Parts: sequence; C-alpha cells; structure tokens
Amino acid sequence: MESTDNAAKIAASPEDLQWKIEEIGSGCEVGVAFFDYATQLQWSYQAHRWFHAASTIKAAVLLALFKAIDEGRFTIDSRLHIRNRFLSVVDGEPYRISPDRDADSKIHAAVGKTMRLGELALQMIVSSSNLATNLLVDLIGIDKAQQCIADLGCGGIELIRGVEDGKAFEASINNRVTADGLLQLFRAIYERRNLSRESSDRMMEILSRQEFNSGIPAGLPSPIRDQSRIAHKTGDISTVAHDAGLVFLPDRKPYLLAILMEAGEENSPTQDKVAKISEAIYQRLVSA
Amino acid sequence: MPEAASLPLNVVDGLNLEEKYRKTLRPGELLQDREGKTRRLPRFFYEVNSWDTARKTELSPHFALWEFINTDLHEAEVLRRFPRYIPCAVAALAAALEVLRVHLGTVVHISANGGYRSPGHRISGHGSTHHWATAANIYRIGDEYIDGEEKIQKYADVACKLLPAIWPRPFGRQIGFADDHLHLDLGYSVVIPREADGEE
Repeated sequence: MESTDNAAKIAASPEDLQWKIEEIGSGCEVGVAFFDYATQLQWSYQAHRWFHAASTIKAAVLLALFKAIDEGRFTIDSRLHIRNRFLSVVDGEPYRISPDRDADSKIHAAVGKTMRLGELALQMIVSSSNLATNLLVDLIGIDKAQQCIADLGCGGIELIRGVEDGKAFEASINNRVTADGLLQLFRAIYERRNLSRESSDRMMEILSRQEFNSGIPAGLPSPIRDQSRIAHKTGDISTVAHDAGLVFLPDRKPYLLAILMEAGEENSPTQDKVAKISEAIYQRLVSA
Repeated sequence: MPEAASLPLNVVDGLNLEEKYRKTLRPGELLQDREGKTRRLPRFFYEVNSWDTARKTELSPHFALWEFINTDLHEAEVLRRFPRYIPCAVAALAAALEVLRVHLGTVVHISANGGYRSPGHRISGHGSTHHWATAANIYRIGDEYIDGEEKIQKYADVACKLLPAIWPRPFGRQIGFADDHLHLDLGYSVVIPREADGEE
C-alpha cells in the first residue's frame, strides 16, 4: 500500500522531481529513467537523449557474452588467451590498453596466459577492466553483440567499438547510450528476456559485486544501503558520470534506475551528483 | 603402440587415430602456407593423456610439454580435452629454445596459443608453422615483456646468432609480422622418432 501511495505522489507531481534533478544537475545534461517493480511506475527525464556510454557499455558486453554462452558458443569456464593488442575501428592499426589507465591490474598481469571467461566478465564489471572488456568484445564480435542487443529490444544502446580506442574517440566514433536504453538492458537481464535463468542469475550476481559504489548506492540512506543489494554499472570519463542498475531494498520489489550526466570539462559531472539524484528518487519512491 | 625412448609418451601414427582427431589434425595432408607454397602436415604425434602428464614431461631441462599445448577456446574442441596430440617435432623445438634459454640465463615464456596449434585452431587462417609444432611465440623473457620493436629485434638477433637456422618473424603491424611477441620457428620440419611405425 505504501508503495502505491508513493507512486501516486510521483504521478501527481512529476514536475517536482524534474525540478529537483535539474537543480542537482545544474550545468550538465542529465538523462534519468526508472521503473519500479513494486508499483509498475515508470518515469523518465530526457530518457532518449544520447550520451557517451563510458563504462556503462560494459553491461551491454556482459549481456552479449551471456547470450553467446546461452547459444553454446562458449562456456563460462572457457579459457581465453590474454593479449593486449586491439585494432582501432578507424584505420585497423593496433593499440594497447595502458595499465596506468585501467582500474584493474590482475588481467594485465595475466598477459600471455589464459583466463576463464567468467573471471574476465567479473573483472570487466566489478573493477571495470578495460582489457577484459576489449578481449570479450573481440571474442564475441561487434556484429554479434549488436544483434544481441537489438534482439533484446534495447534500442538505446550503440555498441560500435571496444574501449580506449583513442583514434575513434578523436573521430567522435563512440559507444552511446540513453537512459531508456540502459533501463531496457537491465530489464532484459532481470526479466530473462531470451536469456536462461542461469545466465540471468549469474549476471545479477556479477553486477551486485560492483566495487564502484559512489553513485546509485551512495544515494541510499546508510542503514538501508547496508541491507540492500545494488546490481549496477557505473561509467566515468572526464565529461560524463553515469550509473545504472537495479536496487533491491529489503522487503520490497526492486526498482531499476539509470542516471546519465554529461558536461564540458569545466563543469565536470560527478558520481556525487549521481548519488544525489539517486537519493531524490529513493525518497520519492520509498520514503516520501 | 611403442613408447618413445626417454619420453613417457606414446608415439602414434595420426592416420590410425579416430576420425574426430584425423579431421582436426589432418595428418600428412597438404596445406598452403601464407606465400601459397604447399606444405605437408606432420603424420606422427606424441599422445598426451592428461594435463598432469604434460606438466611433468620435460622436453628439455627448462621446457615442459605443457608450455607447448597451452591453448585457449580457439583450439578445436576435440583437442581441448585429453588425450591430446602434438607433432613429434616439438622435441626439436624445445631443444632449440633450450639453447636460447641457457644463453639468456632466465625464463623464456611461451604465450598461450604460442606453441602447437592444430590446423583446426581458429586463429590460424593458413599453413602456419605452429601446426608443425616447430614455432614458439615468446611474450616475456625474465621480467621483460617482448612488446616493442627494439626488444623483439634484440632477442631475434640473439636467437639467430645462437641458432642460424631459426627464423624470427620480423617486427611489424601487418599480417605476417609481429609487434607484441617474438616468433621463432624451425620451418616446416617433421620429426619421426625411431619408435614410430613405418610409413607405407
């Protein structure tokens, strides 16, 4: 009953929530979308605006990997050669992921050896490993990953290259997402759209082990946060701060949330602002 | 089947293996190399029954068999399980690498997919010497990663001075060159151990 009451409050005053988000994101472009399984309420603000995906694209790579596993192309225990050599989509010239610019050192230490796909998937999400991401993108294939995303109805996701492709960045060839696209992506994972239960559960488990928690999770009151599970993926570069995922609060159905922020370098968006938007949505949905 | 003189491995005639292995190993078949020259694939193989055997079987004082069969998911599925088969020329390759290893006085690391790759391995699109078990991709020597022109050339020079018949892949970014490892090979050599069956 309480959730339904809150839904009514949001429905009655969407401008109020929009005003709050605009205030928090002042100086930035903001896209927000959420869907509450408890009330079936869906609300969005600039949900179809495209943003540079940054590392949120790794959630799409995760989905494509598990779809390929469901199709029998690989198993989660298949071993892959760890090689730090990738080809730019601009001119086919090789480039490498600098260990200094990667959040994860474990996979760089394994260059020349093999690792299991499950471990690469885990590191791609929890420590946002760029090396793991590019290895998986090359393995799955961009075309197949794009087809998988399209088949699952995730229209607001454009996966067109691996990460750290400097020439592509300079040529403005970037992976892009919308808030609605990320919302649909996480819905597909959670609702097992064309996915096995095992793959869905495994992805949720990986996403729940996220180590970067200064966005959506930080917006929850600390006693609640300690009892909650948040399955999510962040994305940060100098001009964007994103976070998207599922929030499992105690004794309540989860809600899905995508918060995207982008600005010029002189007014950088931060995960602190993402957390404030997360807090505003939490307050409206749960404790208003 | 006869056992090799000092290796704890059976030598098998690939033509007598089950069809699933013959289809992948293609013993004695002809393949074209990158230049379009026709080469004949090896016919005789060591049979490796377990990873434990691969780890314990020393082909030379510093190289164990496992280093040459450490492949990933791109290898044909039938060869990702045991028993596995590797052309007998791997012993000659290990002997050559041992000369380099002793000279350098430090560990020579062969990369995954950098030893034997069967003709069914999905990263080889032509008759690579890796199908003969006569090639090694070295990605690290001691603590030094061999990932640039200077390092590749330095160790290629050392190898060629010690082993004039060995071939290092030149540095370069195009297909047929290497820019993140040192590739050394003995060409399309075939080794037939004395205990192998005779050919008809």
